[in-house]
Amino acid sequence: MNAILQVKNVTKRYGGLTANNDISFDVAPQEILSVIGPNGAGKSTLFKQIAGFVTPTTGEVIYKGTKISGLPPHKVARLGVVRTFQETTIFKSMTVRENVIVSHHLRSKASLLGFFFGSSQAKADEAEFGKSADDIIDFLGLQAIRDEMASNLPQGHLRALGMAIGLATHPEIILLDEPFAGMNHDETMRMVALVRRLRDERGLTVLLVEHDMPAVMKISDRIVCINFGEKIAEGTPAEIQANPRVIEAYLGSEDAAIGM
Amino acid sequence: MTDQTQAAPVAESRVLSTPRLLGIGVFLLVVFVLVPVFISLSGRWDFYYTLTSVALLSVAAAGVWLTFYIGRINIGQGAYALMGGYVSAVLMTQYGVSFWLTLPLAGIFCAVVSVGIGLPILRLRGVYFAMVTLVLTEVARLTALALPITNGAKGITSIPLPGELSIFGLTIIPDFATLANPKLAFYLMAALLMVLTYLVLWRIVNSRLGHLCRSLQQNEELSASIGVNTAMLRVLAYAISSFFGGLAGAIFVAISQSIYPSSFVVQDSVNFMLYCFLGGLGYVFGPMLGTLLLYFGWDLLSIAKQYQLLIYSGALIALMLILPNGVLSLLDKKGGSK
Amino acid sequence: MEQILANGLYLGAQYALIALGLTLIFSLMNVLNFAHGQMYVFGGFVTYTVVAQFGLPFIVGLIASAVVLAVMGALIEKFLFRPVIRRSKRDESTMLLAAGIAFFLDAVILLLFGEKQRGVPKIVNGVFNWDMRLIMPYDRILIAALAVGLIVGFILFMQYSRTGRAMRALAQDRMAAQLMGVDVDRYSMIGFAMGAMLAGLVGGLLVTITGINLGMGGPTSIKAFLMIMIGGAGVISGAIAGGFILGMMESVGLTLLAAYGDVTYLMIFITLMIFLAIRPQGLMGKPWG
Repeated sequence: MNAILQVKNVTKRYGGLTANNDISFDVAPQEILSVIGPNGAGKSTLFKQIAGFVTPTTGEVIYKGTKISGLPPHKVARLGVVRTFQETTIFKSMTVRENVIVSHHLRSKASLLGFFFGSSQAKADEAEFGKSADDIIDFLGLQAIRDEMASNLPQGHLRALGMAIGLATHPEIILLDEPFAGMNHDETMRMVALVRRLRDERGLTVLLVEHDMPAVMKISDRIVCINFGEKIAEGTPAEIQANPRVIEAYLGSEDAAIGM
Repeated sequence: MTDQTQAAPVAESRVLSTPRLLGIGVFLLVVFVLVPVFISLSGRWDFYYTLTSVALLSVAAAGVWLTFYIGRINIGQGAYALMGGYVSAVLMTQYGVSFWLTLPLAGIFCAVVSVGIGLPILRLRGVYFAMVTLVLTEVARLTALALPITNGAKGITSIPLPGELSIFGLTIIPDFATLANPKLAFYLMAALLMVLTYLVLWRIVNSRLGHLCRSLQQNEELSASIGVNTAMLRVLAYAISSFFGGLAGAIFVAISQSIYPSSFVVQDSVNFMLYCFLGGLGYVFGPMLGTLLLYFGWDLLSIAKQYQLLIYSGALIALMLILPNGVLSLLDKKGGSK
Repeated sequence: MEQILANGLYLGAQYALIALGLTLIFSLMNVLNFAHGQMYVFGGFVTYTVVAQFGLPFIVGLIASAVVLAVMGALIEKFLFRPVIRRSKRDESTMLLAAGIAFFLDAVILLLFGEKQRGVPKIVNGVFNWDMRLIMPYDRILIAALAVGLIVGFILFMQYSRTGRAMRALAQDRMAAQLMGVDVDRYSMIGFAMGAMLAGLVGGLLVTITGINLGMGGPTSIKAFLMIMIGGAGVISGAIAGGFILGMMESVGLTLLAAYGDVTYLMIFITLMIFLAIRPQGLMGKPWG
């Protein structure tokens, strides 16, 4: 497999606590890969390490042959690996459109001084970002709330806006943190379709952390299962469903039953 | 929603609409023409000192406001005002540098120092950052007391008035000592500096830079994950802030012709913060208005003698109860943008 | 050496008590109480009035300080902080309010008690002298013991009383405490009253030794901020640790650095800055962000 992202023997310890222990897996280009596991299994920590918010104690994350673990988040984002957040994934006191425009920042060619003096490059950037923001808003079907203040949006739209922000950075890999959390069945199915379109129409590689098993089974090409900080299984949804260690991990916890 | 002013779409903010131009025109007219005329007619020459102070304090407050704009409560501006003042004083008295050259140097010196200080402390947030900056003011005072070059508690006195500024023999600004009315000259200088400062601030806020600052204020993690170099931007904003603080301090020294370690103390740092709060943190011109109201109010209240502080602080508390989001938040209710 | 340690402990006990009040208010309401130093001064003046003006015993003065400040704290919370917290869009607004209250208390102190330095007669005479190695007046020993007693009492109260437990729950997670049925408004008020009371008590204790004056408010607040930064804001053990560490540093600094002039505090501040750069959450604080 010609991997776009490789997680190699990543271990993260906090004091005496081991959040991730020797986790390795590869992600293929334009793949939808889910990381699952009971609460507290270390999924979020793993994501944070991929996006540069946390540096692994040992091990490394390789993106297109370059080591990205240890880089600050903005550099990781610049390279094309972008994380969206679980809840507050937005800038509250901006409108939807402003949220998306500001998120184009890393594609900006103008310098900070250029912004200040309003150089022609800055103006060109601004116009381009406006257009691109509108594209993304259309793509996600958010036209109706374009000029709505983000703090006034309902949950479902917030999630979509978070995704719009992620898209605005034009990532190659997008990390989605529980995109289906708190959604009802219909909303979930719409989101599943949307994540598919990210891959099919925009050519993105998608990594997601999720609890909603039916959705995960439906959407993923492959699944990595983590328990107590260790990888216990990796494979296609069918393989994961049949894996005794996965079943044990889920039965052993009070977490939602695995959706089979 | 606090940020109605800046919430205006990017394109629109570039265009200077007629009412806005008119407003700016009126403002400039008042500051540079009507105030001097009024003072010379009424004979209240003491107002010059008050208004000069208001202008300078609002320059320093503009810096504090900018740090607020990236989501940091800055109660350390007094430190940079003091630092700027000493840089200017030392350069003038010991090295004979012209005041006009010490002015930018004071600002730059403060900006450079603030980068060194800001790198570690800007990682702190909320109350922690506020407390550290507060302590910083105290550090500045104690440093001034301890260093030989600042002459300890005795301070630096008999600093010359700003001299002549000329380019190729052409006098741009005459020697203040030769002026019949240096008070007016200081007032005009401070007012000009204030106008320039707020022009810069307005420009920052309404450019992409301002949007990035706001993204920092609202959600630092997200800002980093969309590729903003948050550490750099924070330090940049803090350096600009400190630059303003240094400028204001240097001019204060020129006016009072002296500087002591107690020229800017914790109380001043707290005041700068209050000016910003009171004017409204969501409005570029908030700190200017806040400074005017509080400083002028304090001055006018001197007729109340021993009750001055009581009335002043009582009014402050009352204002906070009535308008917890600043005076300019009154405009919000009408739905106006500025 | 013994002398330095003893001085440090004596200072530390008072400081810890001041920091406890500040950190209690901070942990419950996320308010940085700028007026803490003024409350301390106010408490000192109440004791002064009761003891020196009315000629009543010291203990009456101390109780009066505690009661007056507790009532003041409760009123300030109920009528000032609560409405502002509810209506303001930013957390920071409470800082403006706290600063306004600090000014206001300064003004009230000025009008009620004047700006002169005030003190009360020594409550115990005599000096403890251990072979000239350790010299400490008995009144200082008594005050330090009282301070330690109050600290212990406070900890026990927070650990074992119903009110204390409710406040700890509130400090840990406001939302969860609310869900558990803790009356948030009520305990915020009690907490603020207790914080103010602690400040007043220290003022009452120290008026017997150092006296009290109007100008002490601001510097006391700054010292209290230092302590809770060292220990970690909002943590009881941190406040106590911070208080004793600052007391010790001051004691050591004043002895060792005396030759270099008044640089002790400069050194303490710089050390703190470096410490915070490495460990932003203080000694015992929880990491965040």
